[in-house]
Amino acid sequence: MQKQVISMPRRINIARLKLVTITFCIGQIFAGQPAIATDETTLPDWSGVWERVEGNGGIFDPATVKPADGRAGSPGVRQFPPLTQAWEAKYQAILEVVAEGRVPDPISICGTPAGFPRLLALPDVYEFIVRPEQTWIITENGPNIMRIYTDGRDHPADDELWPTFTGDSVGSWHDKTLTFGTVSMLGEKGTILDRSGLVLSNQASITTRMFKTEEGLLRAELTIADPLALREPWNVVRHFRKTPGGTRAFDYACAENNRNPITSSGQTLTLDAEGNTIDVEIDQEH
Amino acid sequence: MQLTFDTVKLKTALFLVVLLAADLATAHHSSAMFDKSTVVEVTATVKEFQWTNPHVWIQVIVKNKAGEMEEWSIEGLGPNSLFRKGWRPNTFSPGDVIEIKFNPMRDGSSAGGFIGARFSDGSTIGDW
Repeated sequence: MQKQVISMPRRINIARLKLVTITFCIGQIFAGQPAIATDETTLPDWSGVWERVEGNGGIFDPATVKPADGRAGSPGVRQFPPLTQAWEAKYQAILEVVAEGRVPDPISICGTPAGFPRLLALPDVYEFIVRPEQTWIITENGPNIMRIYTDGRDHPADDELWPTFTGDSVGSWHDKTLTFGTVSMLGEKGTILDRSGLVLSNQASITTRMFKTEEGLLRAELTIADPLALREPWNVVRHFRKTPGGTRAFDYACAENNRNPITSSGQTLTLDAEGNTIDVEIDQEH
Repeated sequence: MQLTFDTVKLKTALFLVVLLAADLATAHHSSAMFDKSTVVEVTATVKEFQWTNPHVWIQVIVKNKAGEMEEWSIEGLGPNSLFRKGWRPNTFSPGDVIEIKFNPMRDGSSAGGFIGARFSDGSTIGDW
């Protein structure tokens, strides 16, 4: 068995991220609150089926999108996270592609998860399964499953950790609030935050606080750090509302009858009922 | 492949465009291929209703400029979200004669993005 080799800067970064998470948990313990809920009767009721509140067209950060009612993927619509100069240039280059109608959306190929944090901004419905040892976020669209361990474990050791779509999440309960840290996300190599083309690096780490508001909404407060993409932490807030009682979630099988394949240049084609391409104008690259 | 103007009414209806934009937001792919500034309304006969992920498709037969019948593919949202909006797997049945509104493809090819439909009994679905 070969040992995984991680470059020194990467090792240092992972170690730093884990240190931040550990420091946070220790801080909460010393604050006099239990870090791990061992009694399920103390956990909040997040049962039922939920749907996102914000996000016109799946926009990830409603607080910074311009124009304010802009849809992700529409020409001229963008968000304003505190991007570094290099990543602002990267974002602008992607926005130009979006303006040509070639949205570089990985999930349109029906083969990969949306990943975190995008999975908090998807259409269709959500389920939040809360147990003392773990919380699952299940999105109908995709589907995506996010596992948040709350049994006291830490992130895996460096040689057991590699970038994945959803990353690795560990956290704890304090009163009725779930706080968790997420590291080792795939970043720009396989995920976007929304169809405006916004991306983060695989060095990003996210601390998320989730709790139910007095209005009955589920509120997720994300603090995103990324030493490559962001000049400073980026705070994003999203909400979910409960759907009417009895609502069901269903299978979502993107590959079942995908009649919109994507060309190598990003053009979305349309197929007829027999699988033949309908489009008259097709990129030369196809 | 162009529909005849005696069976098709081209309209530019901004409010419908806004409503459609909200719907297309949940599509699994870009909607850039559809001309969202144009609404086509046509009488059609349903050939097949594909109640499938990631999108439902209504295969309809319409009359073209030469008076010949041809098949068009009208794309809707996913069945899960449509179910919660009142659609059902049998919302459209083969042989149904309907009026249907959609955004045509930018390149004029025989497909479109669904907006709304009216059935022979006067009932409607979608944005009509």
